[in-house]
Amino acid sequence: MNEREREIDLPPELRAAVDGLPRSIEPPEDLWPGIRNRIRGRGEGGRGRGREWWVPLALAAVLVLAVALWRATHTVAGAWEVRRVAGAPRVNGAALGSVGALRVGQWLETDDSSRAVLAVGNIGQVDVKPGTRLRLVQARATDHRLALQYGSIYAQVDAPPRLFFVETPAGTAVDLGCAYALDVDSLGNGTLRVTAGYVEFNWSGRRSIVPLGAIAETRPGHGPGTPYVHDAPEALRQALRDFDFSDGGAAAARAALATARAEDAVSLWHLLPRVTPELRRVVYDRLATLVPPPGGVMRDAVLRLDATALERYWGRIRRIAWRHEILRGVRDIDPGTGLTK
Amino acid sequence: MPALVQVSDLTRRAQAGDEAAFETLYREHAGRVFALCLRLSGDRMRALELTQDVFVRCWEQLKSYRGESAFGTWLYRLAVNVVWTANRGDRRREARVQPVENPGVHESQRDAPPIGLSLDLEQAIAALPEGAREVFVLFDIEGYGHQDIARMTGIAVGTSKAQLFRARRLLREKLER
Repeated sequence: MNEREREIDLPPELRAAVDGLPRSIEPPEDLWPGIRNRIRGRGEGGRGRGREWWVPLALAAVLVLAVALWRATHTVAGAWEVRRVAGAPRVNGAALGSVGALRVGQWLETDDSSRAVLAVGNIGQVDVKPGTRLRLVQARATDHRLALQYGSIYAQVDAPPRLFFVETPAGTAVDLGCAYALDVDSLGNGTLRVTAGYVEFNWSGRRSIVPLGAIAETRPGHGPGTPYVHDAPEALRQALRDFDFSDGGAAAARAALATARAEDAVSLWHLLPRVTPELRRVVYDRLATLVPPPGGVMRDAVLRLDATALERYWGRIRRIAWRHEILRGVRDIDPGTGLTK
Repeated sequence: MPALVQVSDLTRRAQAGDEAAFETLYREHAGRVFALCLRLSGDRMRALELTQDVFVRCWEQLKSYRGESAFGTWLYRLAVNVVWTANRGDRRREARVQPVENPGVHESQRDAPPIGLSLDLEQAIAALPEGAREVFVLFDIEGYGHQDIARMTGIAVGTSKAQLFRARRLLREKLER
């Protein structure tokens, strides 16, 4: 320790206060049961894990590079490669062979027995399910954009956020580094199910952030509804539909609160800016009971929708939701804290 | 080559897979590890998660401990590594996603709570920017030198010094406010 460095910059009273801080702080709860469960789950095989762990990673990296290189040299400018998987998909009305190109402005259609796979430039792919009609809107390196008129797709993208967009009659799905299924019916109503990462769905200034394991319903003229986790109670889902799409107002919001569990914190966090200031207090108190905010996030800051407070609270909620979902069936995670029970 | 210290019987038993011995080690060191995780993360709930992670990692790597330093020293360095890696992972994920209602909020700076004359030092430390907080905790509270910090975390010595300077300046400003 360089004592001079310590003494120069800290005034004596602050130095004394720092030196007086306790070196040990007992955890507010006994963590041993959770630790014991985890180390038992690992067993001997988990100790001193293989020293060659990097070999499969290195091989995977080489494979990814090779695929990327191949794609870079086989991409048609202003078009994406489309492959027939089953049936007779059509590109701008013409039957697709085994492989073809979908150019900007062209439509891809699948009937009830057809399926296709569309390469999203070099950053991912879209499985086009039967009964789907979509158009390639943009095929730039910074803007990969489809318009899904109706049908079902499953998108997997591995790229920085906000490079892949899917426009629907109810708004736009914005990839934030993720995989998701998107269904749109003939009326333009949609359902977004996220299977990895996060997706933002926005319409006319209204945004929902949908994390892994969550669902957002969408309606033309309303945009995205409040997201809910895939095992949310039906009563909560219905209350959110009433609130988002049927002018259910405060009664619907209170009904949602009454049925919400700690697992439903994702929904309650989204409700905070969507309800009246009076109701926001009730939403906050329910949310804070189910998933306490992180240290330093104050009630009044959340109630006045302070961006930093909301962001920090969301960081905690999404981390717990992520652990809960990713460890489902592996560890019993407390949905209120994210800790192993 | 550093001189080896005596590896305690308790540690040897834990190395051999004795869960009860490992629980005793946990009970001896949990407070110190939790304090470290709490100050490095600035978040109580996060610190609980990290403390669990540290002891699970400790269990996995216990056989690699040969007595190059006291067990506590080895464990706290491991804890720094776990927290540092976790914080960087969080930061990368947060750079990839913007999980907020309004993405524009990321342009705002994280405001520290007003401290005033009744300085709550722990609160002020927790409110420091992440990099500055980490170096301040390691240098000024835990007593590591800049070379140690650079070795443990992979940042440059100059970066460590700059972050310490920044942390101290911010703390002083809060104190004088």
